[in-house]
Amino acid sequence: MNEAAATLQVLADNLPYLLWGRWPEGPLGGAALTLLLSAGSALASALLGLVGGVALAMASGGWRALLVLALGFLRAVPVLMLIFWTYFLLPMALGIDVPGVLSVMCALSLVGGAYLAHAVHAGVRGVPAGQWQAGLSLGFTRWGTLRHLVMPQALRMMLPSFINQWVTLIKDSSLAYIVGVGELSFVAAQVNARTMLYPSEIFVFVGAIYWLLCSGLDLGVQALLRGRQARAEAS
Amino acid sequence: MSLLDAAQAQLLAPRYLGWLLEGWLTTLWAALVVIVASTLLGVGFAAARTSTRSGLRRLAALYVSAFRNTPLLVQLFFWYFGAPSLLPQAAREWLNAGHRFWPSFEVLSALVGLVLYATAFVGEELRAGMRGVPATQLQAGTALGFTRAQVLRHVVLPQAIRIAVSPLLGQYMNIVKNTSLAMAVGLVELSYTARQVEAETFKTFQAFGFATFFYVVTVAALELLSARVSRRQAALPRA
Repeated sequence: MNEAAATLQVLADNLPYLLWGRWPEGPLGGAALTLLLSAGSALASALLGLVGGVALAMASGGWRALLVLALGFLRAVPVLMLIFWTYFLLPMALGIDVPGVLSVMCALSLVGGAYLAHAVHAGVRGVPAGQWQAGLSLGFTRWGTLRHLVMPQALRMMLPSFINQWVTLIKDSSLAYIVGVGELSFVAAQVNARTMLYPSEIFVFVGAIYWLLCSGLDLGVQALLRGRQARAEAS
Repeated sequence: MSLLDAAQAQLLAPRYLGWLLEGWLTTLWAALVVIVASTLLGVGFAAARTSTRSGLRRLAALYVSAFRNTPLLVQLFFWYFGAPSLLPQAAREWLNAGHRFWPSFEVLSALVGLVLYATAFVGEELRAGMRGVPATQLQAGTALGFTRAQVLRHVVLPQAIRIAVSPLLGQYMNIVKNTSLAMAVGLVELSYTARQVEAETFKTFQAFGFATFFYVVTVAALELLSARVSRRQAALPRA
């Protein structure tokens, strides 16, 4: 058997394990767990980002300063360090055994939320002051104006930041490797250690899976937006 | 045990603090090497991205896509586990043997991985800065008889760096934080030593607390620098 065929054979043998781990007999792992981890963190980070950004725009005084400080802290510390913290602190704080996936998800959501909060804040501030005045003079409260007038416009401006952050999340989910969560990078390292052959091919292949996930998200959303824009212009 | 003894028992022994400080130093110099190398490579990269030759432009675009859309950790694994198998046997043995004034293989692969990843980000910021320089500047330089390379070097680049300085410093902060991933391929930097101290002493809070503090100090210093630069720029008269 020649070299190329042997490489393909090793990749093909390990493909199911790289894609979904031992599932359905064992726990879900591999690329499927990477997707799950990223999707959960994306959702939670979007929620945290919206709440944080709106709080930055609406709060004032001491509370705002505290929030700015907390967000600054989350952005200054490496994601890896935050994963260490949540991995050790969450079980201690809750007094129960927290699965590694959840602690990693928690860390990723906090970081993602901290970055998105600033994007949301910038988006809200980017809406012209005339929109606020219009809403208030129509009898809306400050919150009503935010909800019905400012937010819909701001969200459109923020979308690129959200997509960027989600792509970053997919990449950062690989850090779960450090605490032994069996996502794609972890199973890749396992397959590499087990086969001891073709290490460069294995990591290029795994890199390609990540590349598909990341650029797929990026291109998919862009195509979606273009389609929506074209429909809006046609109608 | 008295209260004082109990408090003292919670402290990290000087030996372990020394480990953490050494780890911090490694983080600092590794970040410095990556910042300098990725900025130099980034200039060449930005020139390729804006080149008049379409083949070169496409190659640079491919580089961005590949290096920005895959995790740094997987890239580090590739350079550490994979790349040696692509080298000839003799080169592999030479790299693994260890030499004076030459970094160990762990350090080398970590630095290569970090630099190539960072170049994709730093280079794009530099390119954005170059696009902010009016095209007339390039035309004026060319009209004066400079070659394209000379105009880029003496006219466009100085202005581009000034435009891009704030996002560049943001990327430098990311570089500092990204060095933490190199622990996975055996670079004994701050995160690595934090984990080592934690495993050795079981003082989780103290070990991670100190490491977190050192990271925050480093990034805050860059943040201060960034604020100072943008203040100075705001004070400068616009050209």
